Amino acid sequence: MGIVHAKDLSESSKYQATKTIPKVNINYEECEETKELELNVPARVDKIHVEGLGRTKNDIVEDALKDIFTANTFQEVLHKTHTARQKLNSLSLFRNVSVHIDVSKGSKATKDGLEVTFQVKELKRVVGGVNTQIGNNNEGSLVVGLKAPNVFGRGERLQTEYSYGSRRSNNYSVNFIKPFMGKRNPVFTAGVYQHTSEWPSSGYKQLERGGLLDFGFNSHHLLKHNLQYDACIRDMGVISRNSSFDVREQSGSTLKSALRHILTIDLRDEPIFPSCGSLLQLTSEFAGVGGDVGFLKNDFYLQANYSLMEDFVLQGTLSGGFMHEIGDEKKINLCDMYYLGGPLSLRGFKTRGVGPQSDGDALGSLCYFSGGLHLYTPLPFRPGKGGFGELFRTHLFVNAGNVADTKSEDVVEQLKNNLRVSSGIGVAIRLGQMARVEINYCFPHKFEQDDRVQEGIQFGVGVQFV
Amino acid sequence: MSLYDKIQLEMKAQEPWPKDVRLFQPYEVEQILLPDNANCLAVQTFLKMCNLEYKVDPRPNAEAMSPTGKVPFIKCGAFIIAEMEPIVQFVGGKGITLTESMSMEDKADMRAYMTLVNNVLGNAEMYICWCDDETYREVTKARYGSIYPWPLNHIQVWTKRSEELKRLKVLGWQQKTLEEVYNDVETCCQALTDRLDKNDFFFGSKPTELEALIFGHLYTILTTPLPNSALADTVKNFPELINLIKRIEKTYFKRETNH
Repeated sequence: MGIVHAKDLSESSKYQATKTIPKVNINYEECEETKELELNVPARVDKIHVEGLGRTKNDIVEDALKDIFTANTFQEVLHKTHTARQKLNSLSLFRNVSVHIDVSKGSKATKDGLEVTFQVKELKRVVGGVNTQIGNNNEGSLVVGLKAPNVFGRGERLQTEYSYGSRRSNNYSVNFIKPFMGKRNPVFTAGVYQHTSEWPSSGYKQLERGGLLDFGFNSHHLLKHNLQYDACIRDMGVISRNSSFDVREQSGSTLKSALRHILTIDLRDEPIFPSCGSLLQLTSEFAGVGGDVGFLKNDFYLQANYSLMEDFVLQGTLSGGFMHEIGDEKKINLCDMYYLGGPLSLRGFKTRGVGPQSDGDALGSLCYFSGGLHLYTPLPFRPGKGGFGELFRTHLFVNAGNVADTKSEDVVEQLKNNLRVSSGIGVAIRLGQMARVEINYCFPHKFEQDDRVQEGIQFGVGVQFV
Repeated sequence: MSLYDKIQLEMKAQEPWPKDVRLFQPYEVEQILLPDNANCLAVQTFLKMCNLEYKVDPRPNAEAMSPTGKVPFIKCGAFIIAEMEPIVQFVGGKGITLTESMSMEDKADMRAYMTLVNNVLGNAEMYICWCDDETYREVTKARYGSIYPWPLNHIQVWTKRSEELKRLKVLGWQQKTLEEVYNDVETCCQALTDRLDKNDFFFGSKPTELEALIFGHLYTILTTPLPNSALADTVKNFPELINLIKRIEKTYFKRETNH
């Protein structure tokens, strides 16, 4: 991941900022009648009110709420109301959703009848923001984002983002997102993008322009699938005259046309500093449906967390990837390959510092794995406990990893030999719910002669760490 | 780059001509365009005139690989040099030159004629390739796009065309008619014929890079099949130049085929 938002832009955190249902201030003395309810008493929802609807269509709100009517006890009412509220939040229709449950009144009220009132506030037609960003090549950029939420009243949104960098990089993306009604939370996304990136460690830079179609749904409560089609034109060029000739040979334009499937099972309690649960992500990509780039790529990322004792979390991560050529007609470019090394994949090594290289430029490999074992603790003496201090963690880690060439036979043997190992200690800082920053002191233990190691202080920003 | 590195590079540049020099250019049969072909042939002729060994290495992405974005370029050890003039200078840096015995005046003259050839013949070839609708549709489009998959071929041709048109517009060539272009070529050939007079070569008894450049352009114009042969016909009206080309071809290229 090349770029990280310094400011949290994630959907989830923005719209779920008020996770707990806010307390409604009721002055019980002024109420005409108060009734104490046991949680398991029978209950029936007579009416659901929704206040504050404007351009939002009724059917999508009804669809999210109708499950509440099936509740039979008060506990179920509470539970289902909470679920419905989360569902409304996930549709990103409203800025704020609050719920108020009361006994039902009026002539049609039944004996155990309840009335549920949702108070919602719709998002504005257009919301936008300007912020700054630091990429991992020390390029600062200005980002202008513009979003039109809930365009047609059923949660459709249009998002655009444009960034202009201090090195004249010019990136944009335009996405249209359409959630559908139904149990499996289907979401359709269509977008176009332009993205520039520079890789000094490999001696090349590239401009990507393409379009992405994504269809996401849940096949089970926790199994999330994304089916994607990505068509992308990549213009690659060398960074300087000193770049290796092997890199120069790959210059030019290529067209990648790829199908991708991503399976995610996320059972963690938090995305950045989880204390329990695990995450599994499997990505399969087939490039070569048209275009002149072709490969079959399988990646996995596994993370497991165990809470040892109060605030001590043991985390194990393992990631790996394996890719194949398909036929001689289709190419695999430098930008498609796997790279190992750097603060996100193998600490104690420079970015792309492990694996084949030519004149100092990393050329990538067809197979890799890397793993890590972390022990996270809060800051010593716990400054800012419960508040600011929760953004920080100290960690002890051990990393290991290796690369291999899939063209030769013994991939496992290759991965076992000359394993790279490093360890260290550092501080990790959470940036919103999206990314984290790490400052580590690293000790590379096992490395090859050609590897570019980084002993001592290493700084990393990213989304997915090993 | 520090001064020390620069000096190191200079020193290395003066080393003798290595054996593994490669000249990179697009595929001659199915890809290369008229102007690129002329420039590639000119550089090849120059290297042959200097009696320097090289191997042609055709690459579909030669244009993108080149440090200046233009073909041909040579790889000589760690050095990568693109286009005729820098290559002539680079070779000169190794003490190999075709203009040793020439006076300063003649050298200036030669440079002026080279500029003339580049400006007139080079731009005329560009014009035919990108501005002349018939040639663009039937030849340029298919050849330039041949190395890309659909729909990238259309995008690349279209981008390249708008670039070249913009360049020709700045130079004042885009507004010309086909007739005017042929007239310019005729005037240029006339000027060259006048300078050549009845001699074998332009300057003295030996060919120079000017002859290499003229050979590159005229030979390509004469031998490239195009929907409209008017450009080749214009050149054919100058028998002195045709004879010069035949001589150069015989001396530097025929020998190889006889082996």
